[in-house]
Amino acid sequence: MQMTIGQYFPGDSPLHRMDPRAKILCTIALIAGVFIAQNLWAYALLFAFAFGVIAVSRIDARFIVKGLKPILFIMAFTFVINMFFTADGVELFSWRFIHITDKGLKSATLMALRLVLLVMTTQLLTLSTSSIALTDGIEALLKPLSKVGFPAHELAMMMSIAMRFIPTLMEETDKIMKAQMARGAEFESGNLIQRAKAMLPLLVPLFVSAFRRADELALAMEARCYRGGQGRTRMKQLKYSRLDAIGAAITLAVVVAAAII
Amino acid sequence: MPIEVRNLTHTYMPGTPFEKTALDDVSFTIGDGEFVGLIGHTGSGKSTLIMHLNGLLKPTSGEVIVDGLNLAEKGVSLRAVRERVGLVFQYPEYQLFEETVVADVMFGPKNLGLSEAECRARAEEALGQVGLRDAALWEKSPFELSGGQKRRVAIAGVLAMKPGTLILDEPTAGLDPRGRDEIMGLMKDIHAAGTTLIMVSHSMTDVSRLCGRILVMNRAKLTIDAAPAQVFADEKRIREAGLTLPPCAVLAEKLRAAGFEGIPREAYTQETVARAILAALGKGDAACK
Ligand SMILES: Nc1ncnc2c1ncn2[C@@H]1O[C@H](COP(=O)(O)OP(=O)(O)OP(=O)(O)O)[C@@H](O)[C@H]1O
Ligand SMILES: [Mg+2]
Repeated sequence: MQMTIGQYFPGDSPLHRMDPRAKILCTIALIAGVFIAQNLWAYALLFAFAFGVIAVSRIDARFIVKGLKPILFIMAFTFVINMFFTADGVELFSWRFIHITDKGLKSATLMALRLVLLVMTTQLLTLSTSSIALTDGIEALLKPLSKVGFPAHELAMMMSIAMRFIPTLMEETDKIMKAQMARGAEFESGNLIQRAKAMLPLLVPLFVSAFRRADELALAMEARCYRGGQGRTRMKQLKYSRLDAIGAAITLAVVVAAAII
Repeated sequence: MPIEVRNLTHTYMPGTPFEKTALDDVSFTIGDGEFVGLIGHTGSGKSTLIMHLNGLLKPTSGEVIVDGLNLAEKGVSLRAVRERVGLVFQYPEYQLFEETVVADVMFGPKNLGLSEAECRARAEEALGQVGLRDAALWEKSPFELSGGQKRRVAIAGVLAMKPGTLILDEPTAGLDPRGRDEIMGLMKDIHAAGTTLIMVSHSMTDVSRLCGRILVMNRAKLTIDAAPAQVFADEKRIREAGLTLPPCAVLAEKLRAAGFEGIPREAYTQETVARAILAALGKGDAACK
């Protein structure tokens, strides 16, 4: 398993027990906080908060680090861009057309930190919330919009089906890849064109089975009288608790503090 | 071309909450020309085990030696290993992708770097071997075939690589009795032609019909490795492994317990038990049919 974004890390910590709606709102507030924060102190505060939440959640820190790996390249890229293309400020280093200024260095660092924070906070949400709870939360939060014709239920249903099938498709990909490798196929060698061609024996069976699954699922849903969201009740009702109030209060305090420092 | 497995252990996703030891210290050797049945309950590690035999999975510890090649060593060409050990996955029909049946079967030989003509010749031979001799079928899309035919095309796809050892993961799963008999007959023929065979199965009956040796997996461990007659004599361990004896072996055991001591332990298939019963009743072989 390489991908950890969107993967649930089961647990029973206060973070896991929070209502998904509260967690989503807190995450949105934190993301806003990350964009409002303008100096290193504010970032230090947000980082401290994120580490505190990781400690409380008892999520293996290695999972968080793994989730950061895919954005490493983007981070390096924005860092370099910011560093080289900020012209004002005191010059620290200069060679031919490259000028590094203190302001450039600062904005590059802040940008990189911002990216790390964004990924960390969203990861805390997805690692501590099962995909079912997450889509339930999104549906509940979007519900008011359905009055003006927004398909909140349909959107949530599509999301939960998609999430439900990510592991299945990954498993299937793995299986078909191994089956073709057993027939001598190689997916990791050769130039770009050869590699793209080598994907064909993987993609064709994958699409065939994805369509078959979609067909079967639609039939199974219809057989159980699924007709969309109207009048549907839930087995598990979402309920706010004291935990959510505490979590929201702390988050809000941190975001406000980060904004005014 | 023996296959040697030494103290093989495999752990999926180590260091995560999903950690799972699927193989725990498994050792055995399979010699040339054997027909081995690999049996065990769901999740006992059968598929994990066979994927080590052609290098699709790497051991967490222990080693696999195929034809003197240690798969863990650097510089061992996995392609060479996969040419020697053919692996037919469970529900192999889901791996078909080409436009025509014959092109799909040629995929394996092509990957071995053979010429177009050689690939074609091998594909036609393999299709004949699995009983698809009708040349009109070869140019059809594999997606137009019936389930049983698709499966035979997929098996041909591996046979066309001419492996010395062929491993099949639950080759009869999801087939009707007739399709089952056809696949079993096919395996018998492949074995008779000199290929070492390993068949994974849930069914003692299937395994007892053809295999000269049975490996029983139970919760990641290899618990029994013996000839069928000995395996069926150890009913307790078979039950512990979550399996049942083939009905004919049970019948023979019950008859022995009821006083028909003439029925030998070596009789456990439908045919041999029927013969033994007739012999015990004093009727000749002629009455068998
Ligand atoms: N890719 C994987 N990642 C994590 N765990 C796995 C993976 N593949 C298999 N497992 C686990 O390893 C164990 C052994 O699986 P395996 O597929 O080898 O069993 P099996 O004997 O082939 O079962 P079956 O009869 O159902 O095919 C199972 O508990 C399974 O959940
Ligand atoms: Mg299996």
